[in-house]
Amino acid sequence: MSNRTVNINVHHVTRVEGHGNIVVNATNGKIEKLQWQVPEAPRFFEAMVRGRSYEDIQTIVSRICGICSISHSLVATKAVENATGIQVSEQTDRIRLLLHYSEQLQSHVLHVGYLVAPDLFGVPSVVPLVGIAPGPVKTIIGLHRLANEWSALLAGRITHPVTLRPGGLTKIPTEAQLRELQDRLRKCLPDLKAVADVVLSVAGNLPKFERPTEYVSLKQTQPPTYAFYHGEIASTDAKSTVAVNDWKSVANEYVNDQSTAKWAKWHRDSYAVGALARFNNNAELLSPTAKAVAKMFGLAKGCCNPYFNSVAQIVEAVHVVEVSIALIDTLLTKGLKAETVAVSPKAGKASGAVEAPRGILFHEYEFDRKGNCMSADLCIPTNQNHANIQKDIEKLVPEILDEPEDQIRLKLEMLVRSYDPCVSCSTHMLDVEFVR
Amino acid sequence: MGLQTSDFKRQTSTVVLGLGNPLMADEGIGVYLVERLLEVADEYPAVDFIDAGTGGLSILHQLEGRHKAILIDCAFMEEPPGALRRFTPDEVRSMKVLAHQSLHEADVLQILALARRLGQAPEEIVIFGIQPERVEPGPGLSPALAERFDEYLAALRRELTS
Repeated sequence: MSNRTVNINVHHVTRVEGHGNIVVNATNGKIEKLQWQVPEAPRFFEAMVRGRSYEDIQTIVSRICGICSISHSLVATKAVENATGIQVSEQTDRIRLLLHYSEQLQSHVLHVGYLVAPDLFGVPSVVPLVGIAPGPVKTIIGLHRLANEWSALLAGRITHPVTLRPGGLTKIPTEAQLRELQDRLRKCLPDLKAVADVVLSVAGNLPKFERPTEYVSLKQTQPPTYAFYHGEIASTDAKSTVAVNDWKSVANEYVNDQSTAKWAKWHRDSYAVGALARFNNNAELLSPTAKAVAKMFGLAKGCCNPYFNSVAQIVEAVHVVEVSIALIDTLLTKGLKAETVAVSPKAGKASGAVEAPRGILFHEYEFDRKGNCMSADLCIPTNQNHANIQKDIEKLVPEILDEPEDQIRLKLEMLVRSYDPCVSCSTHMLDVEFVR
Repeated sequence: MGLQTSDFKRQTSTVVLGLGNPLMADEGIGVYLVERLLEVADEYPAVDFIDAGTGGLSILHQLEGRHKAILIDCAFMEEPPGALRRFTPDEVRSMKVLAHQSLHEADVLQILALARRLGQAPEEIVIFGIQPERVEPGPGLSPALAERFDEYLAALRRELTS
């Protein structure tokens, strides 16, 4: 029995950009406080879209986040179309899906390369990592750049898309551009494999921790697809899926004294979303190389080690590249056509869902007959993970209480990082002191 | 490369990056200024004006291959609201504390340091920092910044012709 006294307070006081705080207090082996606190300020995006036209929503909400701006724009566009009864063409649907895949690659390589790899190599950030592993860092940066250029081609710019609109797209790529993108995607597969090999070489540093967990993600059966963009809500705890419009019966959001962000629970007292959740619900539908990479890491359905979310991200990065190569083939075979879309406002209320890189994302809007937004309700993946992070901490700390305090601290920080959280994404200002 | 020349052009030697979020009041000053500069972009054929929003590390790829980068951002500098200061990364020390919990955190100075470490930084980097009056949800600038908007534009245009 441990008699350790531990006081860890990973507290980040910043002005507006929010962070989570990790608090661990134990005296003589008795744990007194274990908390994952999120003290971020509310951002009122749901209020900002009220009164705005159904045609403007996706542009406004893209500013919620600088990393998942494509997911926010896409899910808003889908929700608006669902609410106002707008149908889109197969071509639009395919191009949007291709755009969505670009964000998965961009976000996953960034997370693995810039936030997870420094932990695995034992350095505090990516800047010193350049000194000890320059080749892999350059490979990651090359992949990130490709993903950014892929996003820019289809979104009109890298972040905060400008091509999405209810009913269609304001601009589509040329066939030559798609061929070039496809060529670059084929050429990047060896780079992704190299990243997987490097991470595998240090994967022994991923903590060995498991906690049976409910995993929630989209699941698409028509046709069976590893779902990011279509489908219904699935859980590893449930046999049937739930319609997207009923997402509130899944998230069951509630407030908690230790956090200004909402928490969520479904069949248990918490659930997890993100790459590992998608993997646990859909792994059999991965592309061949993605399956091989999962096998290489020993990642199999039923994994409940949250640190392996980063491994699932590597697997998904390979998957989105492989399926995008095939998707471009389909687009080229069908031939690209300029489409004009006539849309008109209509009263209605509906939701949309997509898988943001860090998990399932829901938007719900209601419009009056002039197409002005009357209400909005947005449920982001990180809020759905907060309760699960807390439950992980409650199980993990007693298991590692005898370890040195800096190790406990590192494992807790790595745990939070593994969820790839989004707690400060809408604001990025400088804070400087003049030295000369 | 088609992707780069048509939709992600990189042929210009200078890039102007407007950083921030226009839905967070004064935090959006960089984006508001770039939006205005885009209206006169034809006068500066060797310059790319980019609304970089809150894309964080994505600006790495906007810096690579450039001779000069001009960054415009809201900055806490212990100055009166609305104050404009032009400085280089070497003239300041970042006071930001990053938790490294999330990709969404960003310290522009650290990104610039990474670009230098990788040998991908422009030879000349200039930052135009503007002290905010308020950073809170909602569009539009506070009066202290709105009143001086033309002054900021003039300073940037002088920088572009220097």
